[in-house]
Amino acid sequence: MALSRRGLLAGALATTTSIALAACGDGSSSADEGADAKTLTLWHYEGPTSAMGVAWNKAIEIFKRKHPGVEVKFEEKSFEQIQQNAQMILNSDSAPDIMEYNKGNATAGLLSKQGLLTDLSDQFGKYGWDKLLSGSLQTTAKYDDDGIMGSGRFFGVPNYGEYVMVYYNKALFDKYEIAVPTTFDQFTAAMDTFVKNKVTPLAVGGAEYPAQQIFYELALAKADRAFVDDYQLYKNKVDFNGPVISYGAQAFADWVSKGYLGKDSAGIKAEDMGVSWEQGKFPILISGSWWYGRFVNEVKNFEWGTFLFPGNTLHPGSSGNLWVVPQKSRAKSLAYDFIDITMSPEVQNLLGNSGGVPVAADPAAITDAKNKELIENFTKLTSSDGLAFYPDWPAPGYYDVLVAGVQGLINGSKTPQAFRDEIAKPYQENLADLGK
Amino acid sequence: MTVTPSRASFRARHPTRFLILALLLVLLLLVVAPLLVVAINAVKSPADYAAHGPLALPGHLHWKGVVDFWNRVDFGLKLWNSFITSLVVAVLGVVLSVCNAYALGVGRVKGRIWFLVFFLIANLLPQEALVYPLYHLSKQLGLYDSLFSIIIIFTVVQSAFGTYLLTSVYTEFPKELLEAASIDGAGRWRALWRVVVPVSRPTLAVLFTFFFIWTWNEFFLPLIFLISNDNQTVPVALGVLQGDRLMDATTTSASALIGIVPAMVFFLLFQRTLTRGVAAGAIK
Repeated sequence: MALSRRGLLAGALATTTSIALAACGDGSSSADEGADAKTLTLWHYEGPTSAMGVAWNKAIEIFKRKHPGVEVKFEEKSFEQIQQNAQMILNSDSAPDIMEYNKGNATAGLLSKQGLLTDLSDQFGKYGWDKLLSGSLQTTAKYDDDGIMGSGRFFGVPNYGEYVMVYYNKALFDKYEIAVPTTFDQFTAAMDTFVKNKVTPLAVGGAEYPAQQIFYELALAKADRAFVDDYQLYKNKVDFNGPVISYGAQAFADWVSKGYLGKDSAGIKAEDMGVSWEQGKFPILISGSWWYGRFVNEVKNFEWGTFLFPGNTLHPGSSGNLWVVPQKSRAKSLAYDFIDITMSPEVQNLLGNSGGVPVAADPAAITDAKNKELIENFTKLTSSDGLAFYPDWPAPGYYDVLVAGVQGLINGSKTPQAFRDEIAKPYQENLADLGK
Repeated sequence: MTVTPSRASFRARHPTRFLILALLLVLLLLVVAPLLVVAINAVKSPADYAAHGPLALPGHLHWKGVVDFWNRVDFGLKLWNSFITSLVVAVLGVVLSVCNAYALGVGRVKGRIWFLVFFLIANLLPQEALVYPLYHLSKQLGLYDSLFSIIIIFTVVQSAFGTYLLTSVYTEFPKELLEAASIDGAGRWRALWRVVVPVSRPTLAVLFTFFFIWTWNEFFLPLIFLISNDNQTVPVALGVLQGDRLMDATTTSASALIGIVPAMVFFLLFQRTLTRGVAAGAIK
């Protein structure tokens, strides 16, 4: 959730002072600056046992081997600290030489607009990163002069991807003799079977991001790339009463009335949703690949598997967070070298084997069968240009609008029509603010 | 004959007493429950947590979460940073409050009401509003990313409250004591340290304790001003576990547990000064 509430708070604070800060930034630097630097200060905020943490540790090791005279000063930061302060830190002498940062208009886009990030366009060509990253992955790495993603110059490099899929409990599927669905109709038929047996099929967290991603997934069933470009990149006006969003809202309301998700799920948080699925209380969970590594480590009581949401060519998902090089970095060329190492097959394959979703791994080098399935599904998605980003991205504060709207659908206090009107308004207002 | 009514009243009181006891027990449970849940999950393995949820008792004691977290964030260093900033802020804050309040409360400086209003407003100002001015100031002074910035900021913030509180205490300060002191030839400076401070010591001890705990628990400004991991305080270090989408429930509990233990120990140590200070206020 690049545009989480915390991010928006930071963004709101940020915009008020953006002018003052931009005035302080000095933009003079050449591409080979810092080639003889003796230290590389590197920040990221992934846990040491997460797939990214493991892979990036390896990357640091390789970097040290290649640059024996350089000291790598690595600090694990908190997500919160980077979200709140990135702008202030990058404008001070405490800025790191390279760091992980959130993709999105309110984060990387805003900083690029203020001149706090180094333009990496030349490096993309020089190191060939543009060939490793497919189209929809590049979308979140590029920002235009207004800080809006999708076009313009490159300001970051994603190492990993993420996408929403269906996790299912094999034990419960076997118990009710349900085959893994391959079409949308089979999927709903499977859920009908569960409902008939008094089992609520879906674990849903309505108080946070999961429910809106299910709504978006349903809407995407009727969408094409042009809709995603309109909705996310403001290419054309979006009709909230058009076929795509109407279908998504109606289908979601139908799922509620058919009992696919519990009425009480409106108040459930994502964490509790995940734990309830891990406990085997629900057979199906529709959520993102960020759960994958955790489920591998923690689910011991039943077999489970995943499949892509049946029938869709587009799915919620995007590149992961970005490596960015601050404008104030004192070791830019070392930072480029480091990024190139993280894109190398060795690090990418390790990321894949650790339960992450690499952007440029060799599928043959992924040894674990489960991870292979995860990565193959992602490759399927990227090769068909199937990443549709997340529903809350287009406007600041939209996350909360969608949470409240979908909660209304779950507890039946809002009709699909009322829901559409409610979510249309802030979206259109934001467009007006942007002058589109 | 006198025995009968007392026995009767004892009988009559008995059920209500029981009721009150039960009520208090329920309240106690409500207060302690979150702490208990934290403690239970701190010593639970992640797989156990996943299989049985947050409320189940751990199958076996799993200390790895606590140890891992301690090493991952170098917790000893964070404890020291928190301790030293809280202590310095508490001492300086009390000293500054005493000096201000002596002038305003005992000295009765002209326009002291406006001073107090100013301090009150400074107290009510949300910290978010202070962030950017403080950021630019500290950057120019070279104090950004340094414990000194936090010490200076919180000394001022805490003493604003301290001044406000102490001034109202000092306006009530017995005149006779001060007059006696001046007859004995004590100047203002001596009167402050020999008469006013010793007499108001219980109140100062309460202020000191509060300043210490408040500074210890501060999160927002330290998060912004303490950039390097080597400078961070305990609450900022605990933030490392709060991820983008995921939270690590067991390690978070472990960190919460070792995060609140120092504050609880400090509270227990100073509990007596607290009750004494409050009681001293009550007698007045």
